[in-house]
Amino acid sequence: MAVTLPEGDLGSRLERYLEGLRSRHGLEDSAIEGNVVRILTDPDSVPAVLTTARETLGVFHLSFITVVDRVGSFELTYELMDLRGASVRVKTVVEGTEPVVPTVTNIYPTANWHEREAYDMFGVAFRGHPDLRRTYMWQDHFDHHPLLKSFEISTKRTFEGLR
Amino acid sequence: MGTVLQYLDQEPFRFLLSFGAVLFLVLNLAAVLTMAERKVSGYIQLRYGPNRVGPRGLLQPAADVFKLFTKENVSPGRSDLWVFLGAPIAMFLPAAAVWLVIPFSPDAVIANINVAILFFIAITSIGALGVVMAGYGSRSTFSLLGALRGAAQMISYEVPLILSLLGVVMLSGSLSFVDVVAAQGDTFWTWYFLPLLPMFLTFYVSGIAEVKRVPFDLPEGESEIVGGFMIEYSGMTWALIQAAEFASMGLMSAITATLFLGGWQPPLPFLDLGAFNWIWFGFKTALIMFTFQWIRWSIPRLRMDQLMDLGWKVLVPITLIYLLIVAAAMLILQEVF
Amino acid sequence: MLGEQRPTEEEASALTEPATSRLMRPDVRDEFGLETIDMNMGPQHPAMHGLLRLILELDGETVVRCDPVMGYLHRCQEKIAENRMYPAVIPMTDRLDYFANMHNEHGYVLAVEDLLDIEVPPRAEYIRVLMCELMRLASHIPSIGFLMLELGAFTPILYAFRERERIQSIFEAVTGARMMFHYIRIGGVKADLPPEIPEQIWKFVENLEKNFKGDFVDLIEGNEIFISRTRGVGQLTQEKAVEMGLTGPPLRCTGVDFDIRIDYPYSVYPELTFDIVTDTAGDVEASYRVRIGECLQSIRIIKQCLEKIPEGAVMAELGRRIRPAEGEGFGRVESPRGEFAVHVVSDGSDTPYRVHYRDPSFVNMQLLQEIVPGHYLPDIMPIMGLVDPVSGGWDK
Repeated sequence: MAVTLPEGDLGSRLERYLEGLRSRHGLEDSAIEGNVVRILTDPDSVPAVLTTARETLGVFHLSFITVVDRVGSFELTYELMDLRGASVRVKTVVEGTEPVVPTVTNIYPTANWHEREAYDMFGVAFRGHPDLRRTYMWQDHFDHHPLLKSFEISTKRTFEGLR
Repeated sequence: MGTVLQYLDQEPFRFLLSFGAVLFLVLNLAAVLTMAERKVSGYIQLRYGPNRVGPRGLLQPAADVFKLFTKENVSPGRSDLWVFLGAPIAMFLPAAAVWLVIPFSPDAVIANINVAILFFIAITSIGALGVVMAGYGSRSTFSLLGALRGAAQMISYEVPLILSLLGVVMLSGSLSFVDVVAAQGDTFWTWYFLPLLPMFLTFYVSGIAEVKRVPFDLPEGESEIVGGFMIEYSGMTWALIQAAEFASMGLMSAITATLFLGGWQPPLPFLDLGAFNWIWFGFKTALIMFTFQWIRWSIPRLRMDQLMDLGWKVLVPITLIYLLIVAAAMLILQEVF
Repeated sequence: MLGEQRPTEEEASALTEPATSRLMRPDVRDEFGLETIDMNMGPQHPAMHGLLRLILELDGETVVRCDPVMGYLHRCQEKIAENRMYPAVIPMTDRLDYFANMHNEHGYVLAVEDLLDIEVPPRAEYIRVLMCELMRLASHIPSIGFLMLELGAFTPILYAFRERERIQSIFEAVTGARMMFHYIRIGGVKADLPPEIPEQIWKFVENLEKNFKGDFVDLIEGNEIFISRTRGVGQLTQEKAVEMGLTGPPLRCTGVDFDIRIDYPYSVYPELTFDIVTDTAGDVEASYRVRIGECLQSIRIIKQCLEKIPEGAVMAELGRRIRPAEGEGFGRVESPRGEFAVHVVSDGSDTPYRVHYRDPSFVNMQLLQEIVPGHYLPDIMPIMGLVDPVSGGWDK
């Protein structure tokens, strides 16, 4: 059960990843910047894109999932690495204030805790996640999602509902 | 003066006075051992131990004891109070009681019973009961785990402990400590640790396991179950448990010295000190206590299943096989000579 | 030094059956009327590498379910960083993974320099690498000490902290602080090395190399009890390790030779020669060997840095205000625990719009949920020694 890491020249690998993803999926935007293949797609096709990346192209490692709260929409970034110098950065934009995104835990099991953290901090719900709980905040009485721009830092707000 | 001493030499005064003396000895031993442990551990870890209280830190035990007297004895709310409070006593008294039969010197033994080895085995088994009382009475999951581990460990290691004693009994022909010490001559090559080397090592290892010191301190398991069966004790109750542990350690060292290293016998005849032979006894006991501490601060601890494997699958077969070898050797040598 | 024949990955996973095979099936348990105990290895615990609550379900001594609950040290660093100017976030990154402060600072600063697109002077880069490698030593050596402490040997940790104290006094001479340095700044480092420091570091490193085997390898490597407690415990396969997103020593102890310093190089690592240390067995003993090997490689890197360091400025020419254009910056470093990545989003003002820290302790902790069931309760401690999380890291 050994894992073989990709060989070959970095530039040609990046081209291969870009071509592989472009040819299989309709992407809104895709380019190569430095060592990174940057891709913008819509939220519901993220699992498909990531499946291609893992199964077909051999990009094994999901480094992190970030959420940025652009007031009015949420921008998710999935950073994939092929462990030999190349990265694939998949971005999606989810409109609205109650975002729902399909989970990628069945493709990259490490996404489990990253998605839990995104849920805890931003309220992004992941459809199909096996165990969507909060990571840091209190599980029971805390209904806020701290990293949203609408959550102000003040003690009164934080302990509301707990006292 | 002579008549007062003669009056006091009768029962029950003799017993009461000597028991008081032994209790005094055991409690002081526990206090001094806390200090010795910390100094030895300090020097092994490249630091000084406690060296502030008194000259070179020698009054540290006094400071410790004073602190423990003034601490509050916390007991958990839903603990079974009588079992909880009785456990330290059940652990301490057996360790103290066996000191009554140990010969310090040819005439200095408080109770010269002729089945002393049997007495020792019987009374130290009660220590296991104390551990279970402590863990059960605390009504906490960690202490329950510690108690179960402690009970399993102490009961399992009594088997190799007893089997290794049988070699000594066979060689000396008696169950009495005084006879065993007398039978080992006053030269170190006739002491029993040489002909009975596997038995000596088994007794030593089982002794460490009975006292629950590293590498067998899983019932106390400081890294995972933070105190195990004694997690809920504080203040004087905890001090009594610690005193019990150190008194047992001293007891195991004393008995190892008595049975295998010649007790009060000097290593060579010209080093005989007559009535002061208890110095030899003390020196050997201290040496073994030092090795207990040395081992504690050097090696990691065994996991429960590895501990039981060692006890049942390694030590018991070794002692049984060696017992047969000793018996055969005695028979052959009797025929030949 | 560690020359014995190590098992290949196939041999290693063939030697030990998977831990979950030791679990009793739930229907068998019901048939016998046995129940499991629910227990907390609570946040207050001397050996939990910080404040971690493990909700355990135990069947006797065997762990059936292990659920880490975090958040006891959560300090809202990402939220606070949105209200602080770019240079003021650096002291906060110090406090993330407090055993690898230099790496955290370096990661954040790389992200901001990616946004600003500036050149850092070579002397500053060499100083950064030197400090990071010293920090790696100061982190791996206590890791080994903690592993032994939790196994019950109380002495190696004191030897380890003696070495760490020496490194901390070097840090104090260079940066002014023993632990929370605030030294690596945007565009360089805060101040140049004092003139007597390279000599001191040389002496320290040579002394460490001479005593390393005696202090940290001899008493541990061949110790029967250590081997029986750590061989086969926490057995990982390469596939599972990559699936779980492990990086750093937990990944390299299975045989995957991924190291960010070589595969995604940053700073002056391309100019230095060193090896990636891997082991094939994938258990706790393998992670111990990987950490020992990495200590020796760090010593090698430090010596090269001290020889090759050029003269020059230690700070780039930046204005007083750091106000990057709108955009995103990514920085990635190899911290002693794995891959530490920072994602900074800027909206053109003085303060970042969003800062995200990808901490290796957070991700590597998923290992506990997956691997621990089936092991005995005392095995949790060596497995935490494999992962070596630091509570500032997983809790941010």
